[in-house]
Amino acid sequence: MESIKSGFYQTFILDNNYQYFIRGIEITLLVTVFALVLGLVLGVLVAIIRSAHDQQPKNKRGIVLRVLNLLCKVYLTVIRGTPMMVQLLIMWFVVWASSRATDGNMVRCAVLSFGINSGAYVAEIVRSGIMSIDKGQMEAGRSLGLSYVKTMRFIIIPQAFKNVLPALGNELITLLKETSIVTVIGLKDLTKGAMIVVANTYQALIPYVAIAAIYLTMVMLLTWLLGIMERRLRKSDIR
Amino acid sequence: MIYVKDLSKTFGDNQVISHIDAHIKPGEKVVIVGPSGSGKSTFLRCLNLLEQPTSGTITFDGQEVTAPHGDINHIRQHMGMVFQHFNLFANLTVKKNIMLAPVQLKLMTKEQAEEEAMRLLRLVNLEDKADSYPVQLSGGQKQRIAIVRSLAMKPKVMLFDEPTSALDPEMVGEVLELMKKLADDGMTMVVVTHEMGFAREVATRVLFMDGGVIKEENTPEEFFSHPRDVRLQEFLSKVL
Repeated sequence: MESIKSGFYQTFILDNNYQYFIRGIEITLLVTVFALVLGLVLGVLVAIIRSAHDQQPKNKRGIVLRVLNLLCKVYLTVIRGTPMMVQLLIMWFVVWASSRATDGNMVRCAVLSFGINSGAYVAEIVRSGIMSIDKGQMEAGRSLGLSYVKTMRFIIIPQAFKNVLPALGNELITLLKETSIVTVIGLKDLTKGAMIVVANTYQALIPYVAIAAIYLTMVMLLTWLLGIMERRLRKSDIR
Repeated sequence: MIYVKDLSKTFGDNQVISHIDAHIKPGEKVVIVGPSGSGKSTFLRCLNLLEQPTSGTITFDGQEVTAPHGDINHIRQHMGMVFQHFNLFANLTVKKNIMLAPVQLKLMTKEQAEEEAMRLLRLVNLEDKADSYPVQLSGGQKQRIAIVRSLAMKPKVMLFDEPTSALDPEMVGEVLELMKKLADDGMTMVVVTHEMGFAREVATRVLFMDGGVIKEENTPEEFFSHPRDVRLQEFLSKVL
């Protein structure tokens, strides 16, 4: 009991160690949120290009669409085929090689890496959603004179988004937890914060269990928010 | 109004439509009947380019529908289409289903479109469903709303692709009733259907399609009482 008490003291109170955790949560959330936004934008774009290409009859595919589709395919193959940590290492030690190791630079690098990575997975999730919408919805939109883009925007994407929300939630949770590997470039996120505290106090139990609990809480909060969003979007399904 | 010249459509090796010529005049109600797989739905879907014809030309109101870089979206605004499976937009309420196209294509303001939507809903006695979602409606209600959704665009011609085939028998009547009302109001209509009663009563001309060609076309009286084509005689003996 005494050892746990002193463990708590050393982990959180001593030398204002709690600030490592607070600052860590901030960095983790910052990277997650911006990577999420970037991933969503990239993913939806790629998904639309890929499904526009697949839905267009062969003789009507323009050269631009073909090139874009090819680029998207390469992107998906490379990003999904290499480990996230390797992508991050390349981004930081190769692309960002000449930058100083400030928090700002590292956060920007991490956001870009995780955003690009997440975008590849979001793209396939959103594409599966687009493909799951009955062909008749697109035909009805087009038969009224709406363009492909407008039909996508007002009819297909909203329905697709609703269908893939659970899968997107999964991706978001994975993203939040995966940000812990930014420790390899030295960014002081939640995990790195705990590692520093462990190194300073020679106490492993409480810092690591504490961040596990913090991650868990953040994921639970996220799940709850996603649940609310899903119920709201399901409004049109209530008989 | 619609001129079809030498229209053909193949899916892979399967020739679904071969060298069809047709002319649909303003105010006509053309009903197309035929066995399944005869190409009648494909023919109808070619008219507004939901299917890309393999060869041949279609001209609507002086504009070539099949022109390689024609403005198909603009042409489709004047050609309403009603589908077998209704295809109401599942994510929008009934009222918004009707308003979407006129508002997005800037033909009406939001207020005008809303007024028009309510007028159309009153026409089919469904004004109390304005804020319902499609899943909450019966098949017959959905199809009547799909029809007025097309009407909101003030089309010059309406294409019907087996509009009653997916309905429960007791709901067929209400949809046919609305189609008759449209016909009486002078709408130009092209209807693919299995409802021979409707063909007999409403059509000004009936086409019989089989194997991708128009085997016979005639006034409904002649078509049903003195069919000349052997295949048509056989068909009518089975369905009547």
